[in-house]
Amino acid sequence: MKQEFTLEIAADNNFSILNRIVNVLNRRRVRIKKLIAHEIEGDFYRGGAILLLYTTAEMMEKVKHQLEKLIEVEYANYMEGSDAYYERSEKHGCRVPSSSRAMTA
Amino acid sequence: MDALLTKTKTGAEAGKETGNKISGAEALLRCLVAEGVQTIFGYPGGAIMPVYDALYHYTDKINHILVRHEQGAIHAAQGFARVTGKTGVVFATSGPGATNLITGLADALIDSTPVVCVTGQVFAHLLGTDAFQETDVVNTTIPVTKWNVQVAEAKDIPAAVSRAFYIANSGRPGPVLIDITKNAQNEMIEEFTYEKCKGIRTYRPKPTLQMSQVEAAAELINQAKRPYILAGQGVLLSGAAEELKALSEKAGIPVACTLLGLGSFPTDHPNYVGFLGMHGNYGPNVNTNECDVLIGIGMRFDDRVTGNVSRYARQARVIHIEIDKAEISKIIKADVPVHADAKEALAALLPLVKPASHSEWIDSFRELNRIEEEKIIKKECNPDCEKLMMGEVIHRLSEMTKGEAILVTDVGQHQMTASRYYRFRYPLTNVTSGGAGTMGFALPAAIGAKIARPDKDVVAVIGDGGYQMTMQELGTILQYKIPVKILVLNNSYLGMVRQWQQLFHEKRYSCTEMVNPDFVKLAEAYDIPAQRVTRREDLVPALKDLLNAKTASFLEVVVGREDNVFPMVPAGGCVSDVLLEPPSTAQQKK
Repeated sequence: MKQEFTLEIAADNNFSILNRIVNVLNRRRVRIKKLIAHEIEGDFYRGGAILLLYTTAEMMEKVKHQLEKLIEVEYANYMEGSDAYYERSEKHGCRVPSSSRAMTA
Repeated sequence: MDALLTKTKTGAEAGKETGNKISGAEALLRCLVAEGVQTIFGYPGGAIMPVYDALYHYTDKINHILVRHEQGAIHAAQGFARVTGKTGVVFATSGPGATNLITGLADALIDSTPVVCVTGQVFAHLLGTDAFQETDVVNTTIPVTKWNVQVAEAKDIPAAVSRAFYIANSGRPGPVLIDITKNAQNEMIEEFTYEKCKGIRTYRPKPTLQMSQVEAAAELINQAKRPYILAGQGVLLSGAAEELKALSEKAGIPVACTLLGLGSFPTDHPNYVGFLGMHGNYGPNVNTNECDVLIGIGMRFDDRVTGNVSRYARQARVIHIEIDKAEISKIIKADVPVHADAKEALAALLPLVKPASHSEWIDSFRELNRIEEEKIIKKECNPDCEKLMMGEVIHRLSEMTKGEAILVTDVGQHQMTASRYYRFRYPLTNVTSGGAGTMGFALPAAIGAKIARPDKDVVAVIGDGGYQMTMQELGTILQYKIPVKILVLNNSYLGMVRQWQQLFHEKRYSCTEMVNPDFVKLAEAYDIPAQRVTRREDLVPALKDLLNAKTASFLEVVVGREDNVFPMVPAGGCVSDVLLEPPSTAQQKK
């Protein structure tokens, strides 16, 4: 059964890193509902991404390992639901309108 | 002033060292020399000219093989890597030069082959402007490389190269591409230094062996009544052939090999039970659904091995020893995952397993394989019909080379036949395109294999379709006098597709018939002694000529036009549905 997952990725902030991440998800036809990319504070060379995905639990686990296989990716952790997505988005300075929360909840 | 001079340097001057300064192009070559590279397969062009200019001064250290197409370069580098375990190196220019590498990159990625490709790129200030021969190579090749990087400043070249070699040949090996802008090739580096990469913060190529996983695997094996090992290329890549043999012998476990795992276990060993997969042996396929413990080692449960996964080894507990964590439970759920290098895992497992024989179980494979012998193998290897059959050609070749040659195969019926009937005895003697199934792979891969192993006979077995995909590499063989032995099995069809059309599309031979040129004349045009055989009595003498030639040699064997490869696991079928003969008409229509 498909459901929402919040995926949190930390990686070296090289050119094309976001493309590499999205590529893994596209290949598996995992739907990306929302995505925020950010620098990791105090370290220009490290970056993070928070994604709200819609897929099955089994696919999420497989995709996690395929993402962690990317050379630049430090970790790819996921949580069920969208709460973590909004929490982390706000932490990284992304204001989320309450209407948007309601739409994806 | 220096900076200004650097900017205005031409490509022709760029390869020369100025005092302690060297150009980016020369720095690249010095890096390659530091990595022990002696052979490069490549093709020059505008955006990589500074590198080729620098190479002019490095001919004493680096042997560059000018191929006839970039796809030939990367397949040659793959062949080189597959028979040595060393990283193959490729040069190509920007745009089409780089995009011509894509098939080879995809092939090397799925077949875990260490290759470093260096492509030239347009000047950094032209990136994104649709300049002449500009293609976004990094973004284009992300899905087909283990890693890639663009270098736009000369100073970044050494670090990129050292990372590339480290990544390509550590963990699960794979292809890496470095795209270097022309300005970076031309620019001068103030102080060249090179340090081999020892680690990357975010990359963990070698997992730490967890003894709890090994102990759990040993417990399952010790309780098993019908344990069964599936050996893949990971055994060869980690150099674990001896450990595999020791485990099989101590615990009495039958071993079957995947297509790329052939050579990891001697085919003349009493515990060897055959070749796995869609056209594999009868016993190994049927008994997959009879074993109680299935031990996959350095393999990835490819769909050509598993058939229908919903009916694959449901009765068995599965142990999966694999260095790539993303492969564990990707296709077949592992009851006991062992995330580790195969050699390390097997060495740790060996003392924990109890001696056993499982002779009845091993005999059950023999009984099944005896059925296959009667129904298929005898007729293929010693036919009583007039036409020549692929099986007998490979059978004779195997007898005559005693399994000592390196066999390079292309993709299709001849590949499956060669994998079935060639008796591989040693690691790194089987070179083929597995996961990608790349027609056109064999001829250039054989060139690379022969350059890497001049001491071994290298025989390229190719179908008439695949041969014509990269046949231009005969020019490379001519130019460098590479003594490869080319054996074309010609049925004037794209045989494997035709077989499927016959069996599953009511014989509608849609676009599979080939009208071929005179292959003998063609080989002779490249100064390669050539023969064509159409009669059985001429086969062995012609094979002798092929093998005894000191130069490159060519043999075309005209085989039965509509012969099929059996056994066959039909598409959608499970491993125990394996067919020994064509399905009934009713089944064909399904």
